[in-house]
Amino acid sequence: MLPQVPRRDLASLSVGESGDVAGLDGDGALVIRLAEMGFVVGTPVRLIKVAPLGDPLQFSLRGYHISLRRAEAARVRIA
Amino acid sequence: MSTPAPRLVALAGNPNVGKTSLFNVMTQSRHRVGNYAGVTVERREGEVAAAMQPPVPITLVDLPGCYSLTATSADEVAAHAALTGADGPAPSAIILVVDATNLSRNLYFALQLRELGVPMVIALNMSDTAKGLGLTADAARLAERLGAPVIPTSGRSGDGARELVAAVARLPERGTPHLVAIDPDADPGMAELAETLADLGGDAPRSRWLLASAAAAEGIDVPGDPDEHRRLAAIEPDRLRRAALALVELRYREVDRVLAHAAATSTDRSAAPAMAMSDRIDGLLTHRLWGLVAFALVMGTIFTAVFTWAQPFMDAIEWAMGLLSEAVSDALGPGLLTDLVTQGVIAGAGNVVVFVPQIAMLFLFLGALEDSGYLARAAFLMDRLMSRLGLHGRAFIPLLSGYACAVPAILGTRTISSFKDRLVTILMIPYMSCSARLPIYSLVIGALFVADPDAEGANLQRAGILLGMYALSTCSALAVGYIAKRTLLRSPTPPLVLELPPYRVPRLRNTVLMVYDRTMDFVRNAGTVILAMTIVLWALLSFPRDATGAGGEGPTQIAQSYAGRAAQTLEPALEPIGQDWRMGIGIIGSFAAREVLVGTLGLVYGMEADEDDPVELREAIRADVNAETGKPRHTPLSGLALMVFFVYACQCMSTLAVVRRETNSWKWTLFMFFSMTAIAYVAALLVFQGGRALGFG
Repeated sequence: MLPQVPRRDLASLSVGESGDVAGLDGDGALVIRLAEMGFVVGTPVRLIKVAPLGDPLQFSLRGYHISLRRAEAARVRIA
Repeated sequence: MSTPAPRLVALAGNPNVGKTSLFNVMTQSRHRVGNYAGVTVERREGEVAAAMQPPVPITLVDLPGCYSLTATSADEVAAHAALTGADGPAPSAIILVVDATNLSRNLYFALQLRELGVPMVIALNMSDTAKGLGLTADAARLAERLGAPVIPTSGRSGDGARELVAAVARLPERGTPHLVAIDPDADPGMAELAETLADLGGDAPRSRWLLASAAAAEGIDVPGDPDEHRRLAAIEPDRLRRAALALVELRYREVDRVLAHAAATSTDRSAAPAMAMSDRIDGLLTHRLWGLVAFALVMGTIFTAVFTWAQPFMDAIEWAMGLLSEAVSDALGPGLLTDLVTQGVIAGAGNVVVFVPQIAMLFLFLGALEDSGYLARAAFLMDRLMSRLGLHGRAFIPLLSGYACAVPAILGTRTISSFKDRLVTILMIPYMSCSARLPIYSLVIGALFVADPDAEGANLQRAGILLGMYALSTCSALAVGYIAKRTLLRSPTPPLVLELPPYRVPRLRNTVLMVYDRTMDFVRNAGTVILAMTIVLWALLSFPRDATGAGGEGPTQIAQSYAGRAAQTLEPALEPIGQDWRMGIGIIGSFAAREVLVGTLGLVYGMEADEDDPVELREAIRADVNAETGKPRHTPLSGLALMVFFVYACQCMSTLAVVRRETNSWKWTLFMFFSMTAIAYVAALLVFQGGRALGFG
């Protein structure tokens, strides 16, 4: 038996840290849109900043910056 | 010699890639503005200018900026419909504008467009900036891998625009769909994608688009025929979702291959070289403390512009309309026709034009902020607050603008992409206490609360009452939004998937053109409704004519007009809220615009009332005594009830005209009017009756 690895997602990154996209959770427009914005398996994503009021978050991927709320960032699993 | 029919070419691209600049360069800023069928998504169309030396005449259609064609919002649906000819004639070619500093995500859209089979030219825009950043992309190699000519351009300098036009003219009349091939043996995901597409009738551009759009379907009906809907319904939702994600992944894998072949790739694949300078600016503008200070300053400036800087222009318009009225009166002499022209037509036109300075001010700022990249930061900063209501960060600026004037504020909601959320914001805005309510508050406070403006504590009392009215209006707007979002317009909080583009110096030309387009749209569409309503109101207040032959407008004329009679009939309903029929006429008259209450009351009391400082009118209201009871007609309590009524009542036909334009629906317009009037009445009733029960008044 392999040890249980805690599930990690984009919302759990700390500022400056990066991770590779491992998959998207949930359904509907949001998940398709996230994928089309470049959050596909294997893409490295870095957390750049947290907004002054604590949410949303600012990420860097594929040469550009995007802002997601914590709730949306939690849909993106990382390895 | 007959000129050949112009070639219809669609201009497509992601947001923030400089598409509008290129459009303005190629058309030399001459274009027509319209809307896509049934939605308020703007559609701009223009001829490629002679200076661009087009070998054949070319008509350019500027599509809404979007990241993909998958139907996730009205913009993408409109773009897809325009490209496939589902909404008017199909274009015979596409110019795709891509940002050379941000190729990865831009090329995803390129691969998706290429599937449509429309001949395409790619404008590699901001090539100069990319070169400066060391982001070299080989145009020839890109063209080879993408199967489309690639022309380096700069929307700022206009470089490359002629070459782009020449390349369009060289395109064949017809193209062939180019689908990124699926290798079912690559992995199980690709195998499932191939099978799912087969179930939808085979791998074709249409089935790929249906697959992704159906997987994303949420509140948006995927346009399709019954056969397509049956096939989609037969596919298990989870499988549909997995296949759609595999399709996106397939395209991105190809993007990565193209980039590896044609562009210098960075070692750190999560880095964004184009953002290096913006990161430094963001160090201040989205800083924990200074970011909020800067935001408050920017908002303060916008607010001052709409509230104060527009005022001299509005005064000038009113002055000019006054002069025009006088000139017409002098020329025609007294009579019904003169009244119709001056008080109906000219006043109506004035009621329209008077909004232009505020609209222009707001859009000048919104346009410059959007172009500079700050509007996205504003949403980034405010999203936390707005998402508590269930709205997007973009709703903040329109709501704030509502304190100045609901008309430009409602026009400003177009930046909100979800229609339901736009509607929630539109319903909230008229509750924000706008500048037109101030003369009413001042009149009532001056007449019934603070009789002597020089008395000790007078200013404090005045400020306290005003503050109370603003607090009441703000809380009410928030409550309306909260309730509407959870009942009538129930929908999940829209996700925030917001690009934070690099900061750029805004282009004055783009902003000025946008301001012009939006202002003319208001004048043309909302303006006609406002003009018509002004004439109707004038007739209600002027007919039937005074039978005594006294003519003129004195108290008798207005009292026996249709509006006056209506107010007298309604008096039993006005008494419970502490008002009499005179105030009733004022309320009817102020439907033209709230501040008109002052002038209308002046007519009722038979005097000229200056809107800014109606001394005589204040005294007349204070001294007005009920002949039967010998008590004053107006008390502080009835004054408070009147102010509360005006906090809530939608006493503004211009707001209604704009709501009608922006929602494209009389239903929501009438809903707003009746619900606000009902709430206003109940609130005034509670104040007056409650106050009396407690022994006031």
